[in-house]
Amino acid sequence: MRGLLATARNAFAEAAANRAALGAQMTVMAVNDVVWVVFWVLFFGRVGTVRGWDVHLMVLLLAVLTCAGGIALGVVANARRVGHMAVAGELDSVLVLPVAPLAFVLLRRVEPVNLGDLAFGIVLFAAAGSPTPARTAVFVGAVLASSLLLSAFLVLTGSLSFFVGRSEGGELGMHAMVLLGAYPVDVFAGVAKLVLYTVVPAAFVAAVPARLVDAFDPARALALAVVTAAFGVAASLTFSLGLRRYTSGSVWTRA
Amino acid sequence: MSRRAFAVTVATAARRVLADGGGFVVVLPFYVMVVAVLSGLWRVAAASNGGSVAGYSAVALTWYIASTEACTVSLDIRMIDEIGRDIASGAVAVELLRPASVLLVRVGTELGRALPRLASCLLAGAVLSTVSAGGPPRPAALLLALPSFVLAIACNLVTQHAFAAAAFWIRDAGSSWFLYQKLVFLAGGMLIPLEALPAWLRTTASLLPFRAMAYTPARLAAGHLEPALLLEQAGWLAVMTVVAAAAFRAGERRLQVVGG
Repeated sequence: MRGLLATARNAFAEAAANRAALGAQMTVMAVNDVVWVVFWVLFFGRVGTVRGWDVHLMVLLLAVLTCAGGIALGVVANARRVGHMAVAGELDSVLVLPVAPLAFVLLRRVEPVNLGDLAFGIVLFAAAGSPTPARTAVFVGAVLASSLLLSAFLVLTGSLSFFVGRSEGGELGMHAMVLLGAYPVDVFAGVAKLVLYTVVPAAFVAAVPARLVDAFDPARALALAVVTAAFGVAASLTFSLGLRRYTSGSVWTRA
Repeated sequence: MSRRAFAVTVATAARRVLADGGGFVVVLPFYVMVVAVLSGLWRVAAASNGGSVAGYSAVALTWYIASTEACTVSLDIRMIDEIGRDIASGAVAVELLRPASVLLVRVGTELGRALPRLASCLLAGAVLSTVSAGGPPRPAALLLALPSFVLAIACNLVTQHAFAAAAFWIRDAGSSWFLYQKLVFLAGGMLIPLEALPAWLRTTASLLPFRAMAYTPARLAAGHLEPALLLEQAGWLAVMTVVAAAAFRAGERRLQVVGG
């Protein structure tokens, strides 16, 4: 555990080493997120409400999604690189260490640009999410569950590369989750909606947590916890099984 | 650079993309996903607004989104960053040795890489739009949109090069591609038809070149038979080519290469 904590500390120190670059990258990402808020404000300004979604609920969704994305793509940045590392044979340096490989890989790298998402999400919730102590507590819990689920999904799709030998699937999975999660889930119907609650659980990454913050519902919270746990276990198992098929690329990297 | 040399550059890059095939593995599924989601959103919006939004019917909106996304997904979104890195690292110096314009060779190569992707996205978009919403609102306008798609890609490419040329002076195009992309998203009408924007934003967008990169072909494909849009687009292409060429000419004169 001490080794993992030191790894995480080093990753943050590395990201913060060039403060000017860190600030610039975080600002750019925040501007990027502002554009999405502007889009939704314009959209709902034009059409009013869409299947129970209005601009206030959408802002909550964006706050949850940017925070969760900031953690999954920024704090545990290697979650999205597992597939690439598996295919390129870049895990040699990890396997000789006396720590759990997956935990080490996840904590090893921080992506500064996505920390901008995390900062933006917090500011957005504070400014437009009507934060009360109760809502803030639910927001924090929902973001943690959402970021765990997103990270687990990225590791799961990335780990499939151990078996199929290509990493594009993991990249596509990442795009799918972030893209589909950024829309009101009720826009979808039929099979598409079913997919968003199961195979590509984008609904649980943003829409369900946003609704929880808006109006807490124990059944919904339980569903989020169960799905998060299920994907977490599946990701961990797939990675462990995948390691047995891992082939070294004879590249000594810092992962 | 002769017209023939430019055509050969485009054709060679296109052949490479077709031979590789790997580039389609991510682009095409991603495109289909984005179009399905975004056009679905606009169709729901139209349905809850009496059947249309800003003068676009649900069918027109579907063809509009399929078109804007095809224009943007076909290009490498981080191109500004990559050009900037080549300039800042001095790698571009090797290209100066060729008896041809650095800008035109680069634009020609990227155009060649984009065209096969554009064609495949448009084909997928047409099938998806027809299945999910209906056939093209006005086939004659769709025919007019075909050259407009190529002009949109060309216009986007030269404008990205004009932006990236800043690296000759500041040695870093950094994350400016992110901001450029967002200008295409909103001022270019990629996410939302310009007619749906508030008046002040619509007026601003009408003064910028970004509308030529997504809105123009999409407006045509959505059934608006407005040939003047093609002329406007060609005008923006000419203006931005002059700007990019001037920026590269000036930048190449002050290029400093550190190391080897």
